[in-house]
Amino acid sequence: MTQALQQDAPLMQVEDLAVTFYSPNGTFRAVRDASLEIARGEVLGLVGESGCGKSTVAFAMMGYLPGTAEVEGAVRFEGVDITSLSTSELMELRGNRIAMVYQDPVTSLNPSMRVGPQVEEVLLQHLDIDSDTARARSVELFESVGLPAANRIGRRYPHELSGGQQQRVVIAMALACDPHLLIMDEPTTGLDVTTEATILDLIVELKDRVNAGILFVSHNLGVIARVADRVAVMYAGEIVEQAPVRELFKNPSHPYTAGLLSCVPQPPGDDGVERQLSSIPGTVFDAQTEQSAECLFAPRCPLAQESCTTQAPPLVGTGDGHLSRCFFHADVKADIWGEALARVEKPREQDAEPVLNVNGLRKFYGGGRKKYILFGPPVNPPVRALMDMDMRIGSGRTVGIVGESGSGKSTAARAIVGLEPKDRGDLQLHGDDLEGNVHDRTEDQRSAMRMVFQNPTASLNPKLPVGHAIVRALRKFAGLNKQESNERAEELMEAVGLDPTFLERQPTELSGGQQQRVALASAFAANPDLVVADEAVSALDVSVQAQVLNLLEDHQRETGNSYVFITHDLGVVRYISDDILVLYAGHVAEYGPSKAVLSAPSHPYTEALLSAAPVPDPDAEPTHIRLEGSVPTLRGAFSGCFFAGRCPRKIGDICDTTPPPTQTGPSGDNHFINCHIPISELESLQRADSGEPTLAG
Amino acid sequence: MSTGDTTVRSGASSAPVAVRAWNGIIAFFVLVLRTNTGRIGLAVVTVHVVLALIGPWITPFPPTEYHIQDQYSSPNSTYWLGTDEKGRDVFSRVLAGARSIIWIATAGTILGVTLGTIVGVTSGYLGGRVDQVIMRIVDWFLAIPSLLLAILVINMATQRLPNVDESIIIIGIIGISFMPNNSRVIRSATLAVKPLEFVQSARLRGEPTLYIMFREVLPNVLPVVGVEATIRLSFALLLTAGLGFLGLGVQPPEPDWGKMVSENAIILDVAPLASLAPGIAMASLVVGINLLADGIRQAQNLPETGDR
Repeated sequence: MTQALQQDAPLMQVEDLAVTFYSPNGTFRAVRDASLEIARGEVLGLVGESGCGKSTVAFAMMGYLPGTAEVEGAVRFEGVDITSLSTSELMELRGNRIAMVYQDPVTSLNPSMRVGPQVEEVLLQHLDIDSDTARARSVELFESVGLPAANRIGRRYPHELSGGQQQRVVIAMALACDPHLLIMDEPTTGLDVTTEATILDLIVELKDRVNAGILFVSHNLGVIARVADRVAVMYAGEIVEQAPVRELFKNPSHPYTAGLLSCVPQPPGDDGVERQLSSIPGTVFDAQTEQSAECLFAPRCPLAQESCTTQAPPLVGTGDGHLSRCFFHADVKADIWGEALARVEKPREQDAEPVLNVNGLRKFYGGGRKKYILFGPPVNPPVRALMDMDMRIGSGRTVGIVGESGSGKSTAARAIVGLEPKDRGDLQLHGDDLEGNVHDRTEDQRSAMRMVFQNPTASLNPKLPVGHAIVRALRKFAGLNKQESNERAEELMEAVGLDPTFLERQPTELSGGQQQRVALASAFAANPDLVVADEAVSALDVSVQAQVLNLLEDHQRETGNSYVFITHDLGVVRYISDDILVLYAGHVAEYGPSKAVLSAPSHPYTEALLSAAPVPDPDAEPTHIRLEGSVPTLRGAFSGCFFAGRCPRKIGDICDTTPPPTQTGPSGDNHFINCHIPISELESLQRADSGEPTLAG
Repeated sequence: MSTGDTTVRSGASSAPVAVRAWNGIIAFFVLVLRTNTGRIGLAVVTVHVVLALIGPWITPFPPTEYHIQDQYSSPNSTYWLGTDEKGRDVFSRVLAGARSIIWIATAGTILGVTLGTIVGVTSGYLGGRVDQVIMRIVDWFLAIPSLLLAILVINMATQRLPNVDESIIIIGIIGISFMPNNSRVIRSATLAVKPLEFVQSARLRGEPTLYIMFREVLPNVLPVVGVEATIRLSFALLLTAGLGFLGLGVQPPEPDWGKMVSENAIILDVAPLASLAPGIAMASLVVGINLLADGIRQAQNLPETGDR
């Protein structure tokens, strides 16, 4: 294998790559023009929104493209053109010289096989060693990716490991034969923030230790900033900008990159003024369009001139290894996407009427069956999905609920709107008690409280026209007749920035962002007082996410409605929320005004979340608080603190034996922290530990 | 490609509901025609249906007419497929037999699939205790072999309800015996749709349960219903023919494929086509329907537009 190795050739060289898929439904130009190089010991970040062709480039490097794909250009690995290799030669290369780490560790591992043999399999396949040596080597590998009890963990099945541990096994498998090139396709996207942080630490550490080139594909600028040495930005199948990581983030020279950076919610500047998000208008380029002589970004670009629509810009150097595919790269500034506006201040909470009061909301799942018929202890104690949550939402305000998967945040949303009847606790809308089940609530209550879901595609019935849900809501809640509701629906569509003719379309014809706007229009249909948004922007690309966030804010300013905004993304929640509630394993860790929650003193879990969140700034000091494992499922009654199992600041036995008291934060009476550590001590501990500013600044 | 579809569809959507549904059906059959199995299956089935429909006008002889001089005739220019022991024209009888068997099997299938869909959607959407009870009743139905049930019911019915047409009874039997299997399939399809967000948001709008079940959920399980119906149709044909073979189908002298196979089996050596022809007709129809079912299933996996 190594005989063809030419020392002077770059490790991986992609030249003028174009990939076209042919299908009965037409031609799909996934990659139009991509050229890049990866050297040994270097991490190249490949970033772009969904459908931009970044994964196709990664697959092309492995020679993994299906027969329906037509590949033009060259993909040279150590001087050998991958596209010309036979299947058996490719087999020899894959897993051995080139290894890949996929997004989802659950599907990357064979669920019916212990993880040790899965790693040994790779070794035995490619190296000439016996099984004992392979076993010893697999233990070394497990140790090198930071798995605990490396000599025993190989006997576990994938489902016995946490998500982070599974991804470590996948990385160990990729490293098995000391690959020269490691391709990582969104390796942390499916993981929780705290787990993601530990995996990113591992990748950064591997970069120094393993002498391999790494292609790191991601949509997340924060993650890219943390691991990459150089970054290539893709749009509509073209690499539009390529630069060293610092240069790209500090001095973007393509309008698209500048736009992406201004779409991400950033911490407030030094003056402490929060900026409104910019957004890139329009939708991502349609890959079915024929290639023509124009800049593909021109329809969305604020700098576009006549010449952009008649000539395709070439990729030109702007100095220091910085390449940009823009005629006007010299004009690209941070403010081309509009002046950063300071956000309008909202009324203080004391002035706001309470819309919704939540008192001791509790939801347990399962556990009904007894050991003997009707008698004895429950066989499985119920899962504590949500434990005694208190919350108060003022009119015109936004409460953000943050937590990782399994924290109970979706359960909270569903219990509030009545999709999952609560087990205990009170819900009061404008002072009136709410029934647990949405079916038993009054029409007025239903119309006052609406919900927006995470998955835009499933939010609209695929078999009914787009306008169906909006018109139904109008007819039920506003009592309009068919004619009136159609007219009002058209107004609503315009209000969310969509063409009213979309009402008649089929949902599958709309993009994800457009579908989510329709879902918003239907939620806004009857002027609700409260909209519960469950991960409403998580499935959207950053540029579209910013559009939707701005839409939510504008609507709130105009109508004075309130939001419960549920998300795992701290940047988003910090941007949109007035108050934040941090959930962990169904328990409230901390609740209070955004600023107070996001600055010291915080609950140790909030602190860990903040520390783990990737920041889109390559100069950000890597933070040091890391949580191992994953959010536990708490069953039945237990004494002690819900966070004791993973708490980095655990003080002793008291954490295991006594439930934490609720303490009031120093800033005011509306900030609550459930922790044993006294507030003053927490504050001094956290201030001492963090030389760097927290997210709230 | 996608822009072309878009204009067609938005043009259609302003039209009345019936026209839209019709356009949808046509669009779907265009998709079915893009699959190989769909093309062949649809062709075979179409030939059968057309021949059955125009049968009375193209048959050379009335199917029950005796030609005593021409018993056991081989195929010739007068009797295209020969004659049977009573000198009846086999070709005319096969064509006439197609009418009754296709009518009975289709009507029975539609009845069974309709019942099954109602039961399946109800059981799947309501869930909990209701689901448990309905599904146990369905299990109980499943335990009865359909042929046994048919023999039992027909025997009882012919004694007690002499005035009711056999074909109606057979349709009812097919409907009842297909309901359980079908309802299980529809139930599981419903379970997949139920947790989706658009169903949740219909609940949040306070829509009546029946509205959610049949306006929001049902259109999304209809593709499954379509495949189920086509597969079931071939079973229905076989069941109908089987009953005819046992002498429980359409009463003589009306022609019936199953009956023709059994009564002409003894003259297989002198007039082989008299029993082979209905058998071949039956086999080709069943194969055609199965191919069509396959085509429909494949067509559903083809995206309607290129977007997704």
